Parts: sequence; C-alpha cells; structure tokens
Amino acid sequence: MKIQILKEIIQKKSSKEKFAVLTNLINGNSEIFEFGKFLSKDFESSKKKIENYHYLKKNGIIDGTQIFIQNYIKPIEVIIVGAVHISQYLVDLFKNLDFVVKIIDPRKYFITEERFPNIEIINGWPEEILKKLQTNSNNALITLTHDPKIDDPALRHALKNKFFYIGALGSKKTHIKRCERLKEAGFSEVEIDSIHGPIGIKLGGKSAPEIALSIVAQLVSETHKL
Amino acid sequence: MTKQLKRTVLEQANAWIESNQKVVLARVIHTWGSSPCPTGSSMIINEKGDFFGSVSGGCVESNVIAECLELIKNNNLFKQIKFKVSDQSAWDVGLACGGEIKIFIEQINS
Repeated sequence: MKIQILKEIIQKKSSKEKFAVLTNLINGNSEIFEFGKFLSKDFESSKKKIENYHYLKKNGIIDGTQIFIQNYIKPIEVIIVGAVHISQYLVDLFKNLDFVVKIIDPRKYFITEERFPNIEIINGWPEEILKKLQTNSNNALITLTHDPKIDDPALRHALKNKFFYIGALGSKKTHIKRCERLKEAGFSEVEIDSIHGPIGIKLGGKSAPEIALSIVAQLVSETHKL
Repeated sequence: MTKQLKRTVLEQANAWIESNQKVVLARVIHTWGSSPCPTGSSMIINEKGDFFGSVSGGCVESNVIAECLELIKNNNLFKQIKFKVSDQSAWDVGLACGGEIKIFIEQINS
C-alpha cells in the first residue's frame, strides 16, 4: 500500500467520511472507493459488485474476484448531557470503542477542561446547542443530570431526530414522571418507550464507574442491532 | 472539532514511517468458522519487530510477525498467508479455536 493511500485513509477517517479501501490481491494495488468515484483499471470491471458490498457494509474478498474491500462507516456520535462524575468514566470507556463523544452542560463549574481533558465539551443549554449540531439516526443520547430543565429538551430533540439510542438516568419514579411530561409534550407511547430509562443494563452496581459500564454495555448492544 | 482519543493502527503506521522505519500492514481478508478477529482486523509490524493491533486473539501473531519481517528482508511487496486448523503449522502457531484465516501482508511504500 502506498503511503499516500494510508494518509488519505487516516484523513478521511478523522473527518468521519464514509468510504472503502479496495485492494487488488493479484498485484497489491490499493485505492479509495466512494460512491460515484471513478475507478482505475484494477477495479473498474467489478464496479457493480464493489458498490453492492459497500452498500451492505460487507468486508471481505468480493465474490468471483481477487479484490478485497474494507469499509469505513461513519462513527456513531454519542451526545452526553451532564458533565457529571459518571460522564468522566463514560469518556474513559468510550475511548477504546469507535464512538465520537460530545458533552453538553449549561453548568460552567461542571464542564471544565480539567475534568474532561481530550474530549469535546460544550457549555450551554442542550436545547440551543443541539439545534446547531447536525444530528440524525446515527446519534445516541445519554442524559445524566436528571434535572428536567436540562434533560427534557435534549430528550425531545433526540426523539424528534430519531436518535437510534436514547438513555436517561434516573430512578423508576423519576422516569415515570419524565414519561408523563413527554406524553404531555405530544410524544407517542412507542416513542417514549424507545427511551432506555432507567438507563443501562442490570449489573447490580451503584458506583459511578459501574453505572458508566452498564450504560456503555447497553449502547454497544443496541449498536449491534442496527 | 473532535479531539483525538487514541492512536489507531494506521496512525501508528504513519508515525513509524515518518521516523524512517519500514512498516508492514497485515489485514485479515477472509475467515472461515470461528476465528477470533473479524475480516478487516489489522496489525502493523516495523523492521524492529514492534507490532501494534491484532489479527487473531494472539493465536497466529508470532507467525505473522515472522512473515512480515521476512517480507521486509526479501524486499517483497506483498503476500497472502493462510492459517488452517487442519495444518500442522496452524496447530504449532496455536490457531486451536477451530477457525481458518487468510491474511494479506503488504509493505507500506512511497
């Protein structure tokens, strides 16, 4: 593989693009593939098959060819509302998984570089911040403040924008009240039921790192259902 | 701007190359049965034998490293290696999990 291709893959990955790397196993040539892109003679005769594998996000040697395809998909973006203690452990756990993480909190003293080094932190109200971000079904939302005036607008935004995962911290009682508020705001039962609340799988622990682990476990398991 | 959390296999490869080391990229291109790493898993090896990433759960790495160093030594560009559970060599390198994998190794060159 040429160093230029390697650098291009790194650049495309960091700008979160969707693409594939094709390798001709006969002569070792590699190139980057994107929908609509012109292919060199090493690959053009298999264009239809390549497009199909890319569409299906299937990695491997393409049937009936000597072409290996490796797909790079857009990473899932996780938005965490609440720069709390659990969030610090969440950031640590997400570090080793292929997720992009952003934290939003209107409380300045929570959301500091010291508490959250090397991660994108946004100081502001979720309602205003989320409007400015491009969000879609590739997003996950984790709300952790259990303060309705901070969490609820984020939950409403996530439901409207069809986030594939929405989880909200809080006891069963808190969650019932939350559901009632969302019902009053006009959301259907199916929509409200799609919220994971109380958030996380049952691990049995109550410490911040244990809760963080149970949230990450749930999110990863939902990711594999996509 | 999204900040970087962790250096990936390819970024590590780039860093080694920028410090003038020869680097081989090994990628799982095909699997049969129960192999521990999915297709697309990758590992890099530099001329000193340092490696980063993985192509199996530790079963065949030592063999892959040896093949990669051989590739550098002979100045070959690429090679396909197959580990089959029925081969005595695969047992020797430890792919005892019942799987078979095909790995493509290639030098990163300018």
